[in-house]
Amino acid sequence: MNHESRSYKMFKATNMTFLSLLVFAMVFPYLNVLAYAFNDSLDSQFGGITIFPRVFTWDNFRLLFENQEVIHALWVSIARVVTGTAIAVFVQFSCAYAFTLKGVVGRGAILIFLIVPMYFNGGLIPTYLIYSELHVSNTFWVYILPVSFSLYNMVIIRSYLYTIPDSLSESARMDGANDWTIMTRIFIPLSLPIIAVMTLWTAVYHWNDWTTTLYFVTDRKLYTMQYILMQILKESERVAKLMEEAMIKGIQLTSGGPAHTTPQAIRAANIIITTIPIVVVYPFLQKYFVKGVTLGAVKE
Amino acid sequence: MKAITTGERNTAVLPAIPNWKRKLKKSYFAYLLMLPSIVLTLIFSYLAMPGILVAFQDHNIFMGLWNSPWVGLKHINAVFEVPMMREAIFNTLMISMLTILVGFPAPIILALLMNELKIGLFKKSVQTLSYLPHFLSWIAVVGLTYSLLDLYGPINDLKMMMMGADAERSMFLSNQALFVPLLLLLSVWKEVGWGTIVYLAAITSIDPSLYEASKIDGANRFQQVVHITLPGLKTTAIILLIFTLGTLFSSNFELVYGMQNPFIDFPVISTVVFSSGIQQGNYSTAAAVGFVEGLVAFTLIIAANRIAKKVSQISIF
Repeated sequence: MNHESRSYKMFKATNMTFLSLLVFAMVFPYLNVLAYAFNDSLDSQFGGITIFPRVFTWDNFRLLFENQEVIHALWVSIARVVTGTAIAVFVQFSCAYAFTLKGVVGRGAILIFLIVPMYFNGGLIPTYLIYSELHVSNTFWVYILPVSFSLYNMVIIRSYLYTIPDSLSESARMDGANDWTIMTRIFIPLSLPIIAVMTLWTAVYHWNDWTTTLYFVTDRKLYTMQYILMQILKESERVAKLMEEAMIKGIQLTSGGPAHTTPQAIRAANIIITTIPIVVVYPFLQKYFVKGVTLGAVKE
Repeated sequence: MKAITTGERNTAVLPAIPNWKRKLKKSYFAYLLMLPSIVLTLIFSYLAMPGILVAFQDHNIFMGLWNSPWVGLKHINAVFEVPMMREAIFNTLMISMLTILVGFPAPIILALLMNELKIGLFKKSVQTLSYLPHFLSWIAVVGLTYSLLDLYGPINDLKMMMMGADAERSMFLSNQALFVPLLLLLSVWKEVGWGTIVYLAAITSIDPSLYEASKIDGANRFQQVVHITLPGLKTTAIILLIFTLGTLFSSNFELVYGMQNPFIDFPVISTVVFSSGIQQGNYSTAAAVGFVEGLVAFTLIIAANRIAKKVSQISIF
C-alpha cells in the first residue's frame, strides 16, 4: 500500500470529508433537539440554538412529567414493550423450534397456512371491523396479540436453529432427555444470540409503533408515548392543553420565576423522551441489531 | 427456500415402539409449540379476510357483513372515477418511484465509500452513527424535522445568517413545493445507513484473490471497484431492487401522515383509506381502495418473486 497514487490519496481525503459531513447530517438534528429540550423555553424563541443549550434548564422535562397523561402514557409504553416482546419471542421461538423437529405430520400444510396471510390480507378496513367485532379494539391486547406471531422472524429463528448440530440433541436423547428438556436445556441456551436479536427488534417495534393506537384505540388511558408525540406534532389543541396545564400548576421552576413553556419546548422534550431509550441502549447492543440482518440474508 | 427440505433433525431409533406411535407422539409436542402461532394467525389474519366483501356492499355496521345490501362493483369503479382517489393513486406511484430512484443507489454508493475506509475507530463511528436513524420511529423523525424547520429553528437561523437580517424566515413545512423533496430526503436520511449493511456483507464475501490478481495485472483501486466490487454486488442489488418494486403501490403512511398539515394537499392511498374509512366511517369506499391496492400489491409481489427466482434461483418462499 506504499505506492498509493496521488489521485487515490486525494480520493481518500475527499471521502473522509464527505463521510464526516454525512455523519454530521445524521447526528445534528438530534443534537439540536437535545439542545432545545434543555434550553429555557423563552430564550429558545430567539432562535440561534445549535448543539449546546444557551440557558440550561430541566424545566421542560419537569413540566412534562407533571402531566399525569404523559406519565401514564410512559407506563403504557413500558408495559407494552415488556409484555409484547416476551409473548412474541416465546410464540415465535416455539413455532420455529417445532418446525425443526422431524416427522411432524402435516408440517407442510401448517407452514402454508402461516405463509398465506403474507400474500392475502384483508387490509386496514376489514381488520378494523373485525377487531371491533372481537372487542380487541380499545384494549391493551390490540397492541400485543396481532403482532405476536411474525412469519419473517420465525423463519430467521428457524434457520438459526438449523445451524445447531443434530448430534447434540441425539446424544441428549440417548441419555433419556425428552423433547421438552432438549428444547429448554440445549436449544434455548445455544440460541441466545438469535433470541437477543429478536428481543431487540420486537422491543424497538413496540416502543416505536403509534399507528396501532391511531387505528384501533380511542381510549385515552391506552395512549402510548409515541402517540402523544404524534398528537403534539399534529394537533395544536393538544399542545395548548399541555401548556395550559403546565401553567396552572405553577410549579416552582429551577430558574425561579413563573412557569413558562412553548410548543417548541414541549415538542423537543417529548422527542427526547420517546427516543432516549433507543439512543442510549443502541450503541451497546449494536452488534445484535446488525447481526439479525445478516442472519436474515443467510436464510435463502 | 432450501432450508425447508434440508437440515431435518434425526430422532434416535428405538425399535421397540412402533413407528407411527413415535411419530404421533413427536407430532403432539410440535403441535403444542405451534398452537399459539396457528391460533393467532387464524384470529388476526384469517378472520379479517371475508371482511374484504365490505368493498362490494353498502356496509352498515348495524346490519353486519352478511345483511348489508350488496352493490357489486359500485365502490370499486368509484376508486377510478373520484378525482381525489385518482390523485392518491398517482401520488402513491410517484412517491414510490422517486423513493426507489433515490433510495436504491444511495446505500450502494455509501457502502462503496465506507469500504474504502481503513478498519478502525473512524469507520466504526461512521457505521454506528449512520445506522442509528433506522431505529427511531417515523414520528420521531417527523418531530426532528418540525424542530429543524421551525420558524426559529436552525435552518431558518442559517437562512438569516446567509441572507442578512432583512430576510424573512420561511414556513418550510407548509410549502407544498417542498413536500415531496422533503419526503425523499427523510426516507434516505433514515434508511441509507442501515441499507449499507447488506452490501458491506456482500463485499466481504468477494474472493480476495480477485483483487490480488487484478493488482498484478496493474489495476488501480478505482478499476478494482468497477470490475470486481460492483459485479460482486450485482445479485444482492438486483434482488433488493426487485423486492422494492413489489412495494411500488404502497406508501409510507407514517411519514406522509406525519408530515401532512392543513397547508399541504398530498393524499396517498394509505392516508385516503385512513381518513375516509376510519375517521369518516365510509367503510365500503375505503375498503374498495384497500382492495384495489391489495390486488395490485399481490400481483407485484408474485411477479417480483418470479423474476427474482429467474435471475438468481432465490425467492422468499
